[in-house]
Amino acid sequence: MQSKIDKFTIPIGPQHPALKEPGHFEFSVDGEIVTDASVRLGYVHRGIEKGTEGRNWVQSLYLLERICGICSHVHATAYCLGVEKLAGVEVPPRAQAIRVLVAELERVHSHMLWLGVAAHEAGFDTLFMYSWRDRETVMNLLEGITGNRVNYSANVLGGVKCDISAEQDEAIRQGVDFLEERTRHYLEVVTSDMMFLRRTRGVATTPKAQARELGLIGPTGRASGISHDVRVDAPYAAYDIYPVKLITATAGDLEARFIVRINELFESYRVIRQILDTLPEGELTVRMPRRIKEGETVSRVEAPRGELFYFIKSNGTDTPERIKVRTPTLPNMASVLVLAIGHQLADIPMILTGIDPCFSCNDRMVVVKDSGGDNRAMTWEALRQYGIEYYR
Amino acid sequence: MNLIRGFATTIKHVFEEPVTIQFPEEERPVRERFKGRHALKRYDNGLEKCIGCSLCAAACPADAIWVEAAENSDEARYSPGERYARTYEINMIRCIFCGYCEDACPTEAIVLEHEYRLSFNDRVDAVYTKDMLIDPVPPGGQDTPQVTEPGKFTRSIPEMKDPD
Repeated sequence: MQSKIDKFTIPIGPQHPALKEPGHFEFSVDGEIVTDASVRLGYVHRGIEKGTEGRNWVQSLYLLERICGICSHVHATAYCLGVEKLAGVEVPPRAQAIRVLVAELERVHSHMLWLGVAAHEAGFDTLFMYSWRDRETVMNLLEGITGNRVNYSANVLGGVKCDISAEQDEAIRQGVDFLEERTRHYLEVVTSDMMFLRRTRGVATTPKAQARELGLIGPTGRASGISHDVRVDAPYAAYDIYPVKLITATAGDLEARFIVRINELFESYRVIRQILDTLPEGELTVRMPRRIKEGETVSRVEAPRGELFYFIKSNGTDTPERIKVRTPTLPNMASVLVLAIGHQLADIPMILTGIDPCFSCNDRMVVVKDSGGDNRAMTWEALRQYGIEYYR
Repeated sequence: MNLIRGFATTIKHVFEEPVTIQFPEEERPVRERFKGRHALKRYDNGLEKCIGCSLCAAACPADAIWVEAAENSDEARYSPGERYARTYEINMIRCIFCGYCEDACPTEAIVLEHEYRLSFNDRVDAVYTKDMLIDPVPPGGQDTPQVTEPGKFTRSIPEMKDPD
């Protein structure tokens, strides 16, 4: 009991300059060394899963695409693949290839974004600025293909909306060539800059056994030697035609996570070029039924952060009965709490950024601590009226 | 050695053009497919394309659109066919700019245009009314309501070419 009183707790969040999104962390420290950590999530819960139950299949697609602002395309892909499987619809090969193409461009943009954010947390703002400047290249490519920088709406149920024209083909090739050269430079920077290595090498080291115990997925897990990638293990869309090489490292520290993510960029460039070289001709969409056959299915895709999981249940009507989403940040979040112990408090932002967290994606539920006993249940109408009165 | 290479990068970039732009003065062009603020379109003669069918409001995943229809007559004609939109409101705070209203529209009346500077001081200001959304009358056209000869505009949905 005595030791509990002695310990000093530092609360961080929900609103804190070091956090890009709201989450609440409590770190117990002994001097500078973290001895205990806990997290509370759910501040950006938006009720999207429930929202889909009142909307039809196409409307839900647009809603689900907005779960994540960075990896919106993988959400739409996971949902579309699941619904198409339920409906028994075969999507044309050209559409599947374009889905993969946009997914890989999105992975490039997400990893470049992460590289910048992680460099910023390490205090290396020059790398942050340069990597984000180069990221504009891929953002422009995505805007050229789909019209938007984020929330591309490239997918529709039964295919894709956008085609790749000859000019876009050329623009993508040029952009990818430029990015590949820059990425080679960044790989050299993160593996040779001494100042930067002191923030990454040997920090948050996760051996393979521990990574398996914590259930790490995505590039975070692959940096610890876990050979798991949905694109390789269970190829979806056109990944069986355009296979991806699995990239792993063994060190398991932050440096390995940098190396894995940057090497994944090279793999993405290769796949993008391969798709452009052998893009099959044909239709972009097939006709989807308005009502989806009764049944339930599971759909998995590899998001830039790891495995994205969708459970879709249909009861034969034009609205989904239940959609459950699990985003890759949730399994990785536990590792932050375990790995933080024994590190200095100053390393915490780096350890947290190391898993590439996306808070608002993973907030699937919210727990309201009702200590005062003021238990107010409101109907939808009453809540709506309250909102109108509040903003009057 | 690293130090020299680092400063070489800095010096190289001193002589390069800046990649940032001074936003309100300078603007970056958006792409063809960009989805920004909506516009309600008109025919060349000035009649409104919107026929007040509310399909966009039904399609909207965010319930951002509110349409109220009224009857056309040959003395006061707003659009071809029987009905026109008397009230057409889009709540820009609710709108998620997905473009499903465009897909739902049978007359291609609503189009997501390239205007993206949408900011408001008040939530009420975010509700765009029909006057704010509708395109200006094209040259040679006539503002609505028009007086038209009977029997000419009986068809709500025009003959349209297939989309490219």
